[in-house]
Amino acid sequence: MITVTIDGREIQTEPGKTILEVARANGIYIPTLCFLEDLLPIGACRLCIVEVDGYDQPQPSCVQVVTDGMNIRTTTEKLLEMRRDILKLLLLDHPLDCPICDKAAECKLQDLVYELGYDRAIAEGSVGVPMLHKPPVKWSTIGINYFPSRCVACQRCVHVCLERVGCGVLEAGKEDGTPRIFPAHPEKCIACGECLSVCPVGALTEAVSPLKARPWEKTKTKTVCPYCGVGCVIELNVASGQVIKVTTDEAVPPNYGTLCVKGRFGFEFINSDKRLTKPLIRQGGSFREVSWDEALNYVAKKLKEIKEKHGASAIAGLCSARCTNEDNYVFQKFMRAVIGTNNVDHCARL
Amino acid sequence: MILFSSWQGEVVDNRNKKEPKSPKAIALPEEFKPGEKIKAFFGWDGIVICDDSVDPVDMALRYAEAMLNESCGKCTPCGQGARFMRTLLEKMAKGVATNDDIEGLRSLATLIKSTSKCSIGQTAPVPILHVLEYFGEEIKGRVSSKKPAQAGRYRYAVTAPCLNVCPSSLDIPKYIEEIREVRFEDSLSTIREMTCLPGTLGRVCVRPCESNCRRALVEGSVSIKWLKRFAADFEMGHRKKPRLPQIPPSIGKRIAVVGAGPAGLSCAFYLALKGYSVTIFEKSKEPGGMATYGIPDYRLPRGVLTRYEVDIIKGLGVEIRYGVEIGKDIMLMDLHKDYDAVFIGVGAQTSAKMGVEGEDKGYRGFIPGVRYLYDINNGMDPYPEGKRVVVVGGGNVAMDCVRTSFRIGKTDVHLVYRRSRAEMPADPEEIHDAEEEGVLFHFLCNPTRILEQDGKVVGVELIRMELGEPDQSGRRRPVPVPGSEFILETDILIPAIGQAVDLSFLAGCSDMKLTKWKTLEVNPDTFETSIKGIFAAGDCVTGPDVLVRAAGDGRKAADRIDQYLRGIEPGPSDEERFDRLFSKIKVFNKNEKVEVAGGMERKELHKLDPEVRKWIFDEVEKGYMPSEAITEAQRCLRCYRIGMIAY
Repeated sequence: MITVTIDGREIQTEPGKTILEVARANGIYIPTLCFLEDLLPIGACRLCIVEVDGYDQPQPSCVQVVTDGMNIRTTTEKLLEMRRDILKLLLLDHPLDCPICDKAAECKLQDLVYELGYDRAIAEGSVGVPMLHKPPVKWSTIGINYFPSRCVACQRCVHVCLERVGCGVLEAGKEDGTPRIFPAHPEKCIACGECLSVCPVGALTEAVSPLKARPWEKTKTKTVCPYCGVGCVIELNVASGQVIKVTTDEAVPPNYGTLCVKGRFGFEFINSDKRLTKPLIRQGGSFREVSWDEALNYVAKKLKEIKEKHGASAIAGLCSARCTNEDNYVFQKFMRAVIGTNNVDHCARL
Repeated sequence: MILFSSWQGEVVDNRNKKEPKSPKAIALPEEFKPGEKIKAFFGWDGIVICDDSVDPVDMALRYAEAMLNESCGKCTPCGQGARFMRTLLEKMAKGVATNDDIEGLRSLATLIKSTSKCSIGQTAPVPILHVLEYFGEEIKGRVSSKKPAQAGRYRYAVTAPCLNVCPSSLDIPKYIEEIREVRFEDSLSTIREMTCLPGTLGRVCVRPCESNCRRALVEGSVSIKWLKRFAADFEMGHRKKPRLPQIPPSIGKRIAVVGAGPAGLSCAFYLALKGYSVTIFEKSKEPGGMATYGIPDYRLPRGVLTRYEVDIIKGLGVEIRYGVEIGKDIMLMDLHKDYDAVFIGVGAQTSAKMGVEGEDKGYRGFIPGVRYLYDINNGMDPYPEGKRVVVVGGGNVAMDCVRTSFRIGKTDVHLVYRRSRAEMPADPEEIHDAEEEGVLFHFLCNPTRILEQDGKVVGVELIRMELGEPDQSGRRRPVPVPGSEFILETDILIPAIGQAVDLSFLAGCSDMKLTKWKTLEVNPDTFETSIKGIFAAGDCVTGPDVLVRAAGDGRKAADRIDQYLRGIEPGPSDEERFDRLFSKIKVFNKNEKVEVAGGMERKELHKLDPEVRKWIFDEVEKGYMPSEAITEAQRCLRCYRIGMIAY
């Protein structure tokens, strides 16, 4: 164990941890923009700078590990001034299109500006803040829109793609002198949307749902993804009775905040107008809408007839990948115990 | 004459001075290339102005533009701020800036310098701040008079302390960053731009880069060599298809390369990549030259160079003819006639003489170091009955000889070196490993006489030495202590005090000019020998030197041969000239206070236990695991910096 002092507090900690880790574990707040807990430090935003005794220049707390006897200050006037100046650089030509941005009120940049304050331009008359809304550009998957002008080049997306997903689709680079992210290897993209989930601003927005809502208009319902046996925990974001987005919880197993393309984007079917919501019975050439009782009675009668006439093996059941495990369990139980056949299958096997 | 200099904080202002002083911190050459005078230099530690026609504001603007070009955009202050800094400087250069703009520029430059992630952002504001500080009056005058700046002509290049001292000019920060970003194959491609021997260099390079690593000023240098090995092993171990550039259609010109050592292989590789058809003539049965026959398997397993890396070179269409000795089977001048160009990379393969009585008598047990290693690498013990070994010398060949001796079953192994441990030219790591394996070191001793009985070596007489004044190489010259002779009994005496070039390949070629050290004389700018169309590089030019220099010079010679065959006057590229300029200015400043709080120790490699490894030829060092490599790569400070000249 080693001892470090953060803002006058003596803290016992293990060596090898970063200043930021130690501070957070002890309830000391240091602002960050690019930092993600499960990744190696990115060190891009430079907002987490702290002062360490013996060094003239500030040290990035997300990268810098603690050493014995280190004396650290996280909030000095000089640091706050530097953090504000860094934010100003980010806002240099960040469009103030918050009213039409999907991320408004959930935006890390908004929060930071609110927290640290933004009062004057670096030099008068030299900062222009374009108000124009520029259209999104192509990303590596159609499920995501990329607005380069909103991008703060924190590279969370790049590193999440490299380290969490292992695909390496994205690269950080520059266009006309402005930092931005390029989907350099779209062929490697598996459309999982991890990049979307970590974007702190509205640079990456979800392009699937036509309906959008502000956070206070949404309710989040925790459920289990029905697509495969992993059983990822997902949160259905619901507004106006419709699922508009799927998010997840970083603290909850088994997926700890990650999702695949199906779990994240495969919710369109819920609101699809092609989806059957009422039972139909074919009569002649057309369908007739019926009540559940009538439909179930009809099916039960027909199944019974077939079973009596041709035996249970003449019946097979095919269920859906979009049902939950419990639904599917009950379904096969019904086929085996009630109908008496092992002819069960599932569309996800194909 | 220098008008103004602020290099490393040493301000020398000769403007309007009768007795000009010259700065101590920087030695700036007069010319960048013949006929192109350096009028000013802006760099990471300040500014130097030699000519009053240079407008510092215009140059600062162009420097900021260079910074904007080189800024990778991966951190906020530099990525976002560089653009803005350029805008403000543009206003100043146009003469339309206000006093607020100047203050804004100052605070912006200070912010970028203090908070940026890598040295581009940390150093590029320095010359701009120096212009603001030392040319403030002129700038203020310009604000009031609205006078625009005078446009000048500039060149710039990016360097880094490690990159600048690398004889192969590897883009070290880039390939380490790619390892950090889990782009292992991209990393290897970056390495291959400058060398075709990544697996070999990743194991045996003497790594001048690591002694010029700024991280060494914090807690220990980044293990650049092992990271290179990791990138190479990743491709080899995962059986990935080597990623090589597209070869252009054949140019239809043929080039002969003499010697398949590091220089010859590198030259052949880069010529093949340019579309030439290359034939290598090799005396031995295996490729690699001294890298194969001189380096034992426990340091460089045979397959890495002779199979894997040479196979890649052959895959480009390079033909290697083994067992062909130039000067005996084919004459050099015949090659000169038959091929469009000839490259000589024969190395320095014969042992240098000790000047000790009895060394020419051919005693059994007297085996020159290079010969000893050659035999062992060919699978035989040159003198099986002899069990006691004395090796003379302090270089890497001497280390290889002592450490190999245990591995072929010798029981007593001694090393005799005439200076002390601190002066040994061998890699400190090698010395440490040899000591762990049980080699007995005798420092400050020199052989004076070989003792023999019936034509066999039975011992050696040594004399004690003491260190006198430093000689030309900066090392203290050893002086014998009279009357201090003593005898060390041994069966085998191995001199390993240096090598010389075996010039037998020059048979029938009297026009070739040689230096006084009996190496080939070449034009350092073109690598051309005294015979037009014959180029040379590697140990046969430099005398015994390190692998990485031979490989690097081989590649540079390939560029010159290409220029020569295209009818362009061969000469160094601007990047190479900048490399030379930067090495004169010195990129690495060992007195710098690096503003990194440290605490991340260098990740050492796992090694076999000394008691196990000393008897076997298995590779001693085990490479990094991917996670270890990434952690190590994180330690790199990415010390890129921009140097700009006005001409």
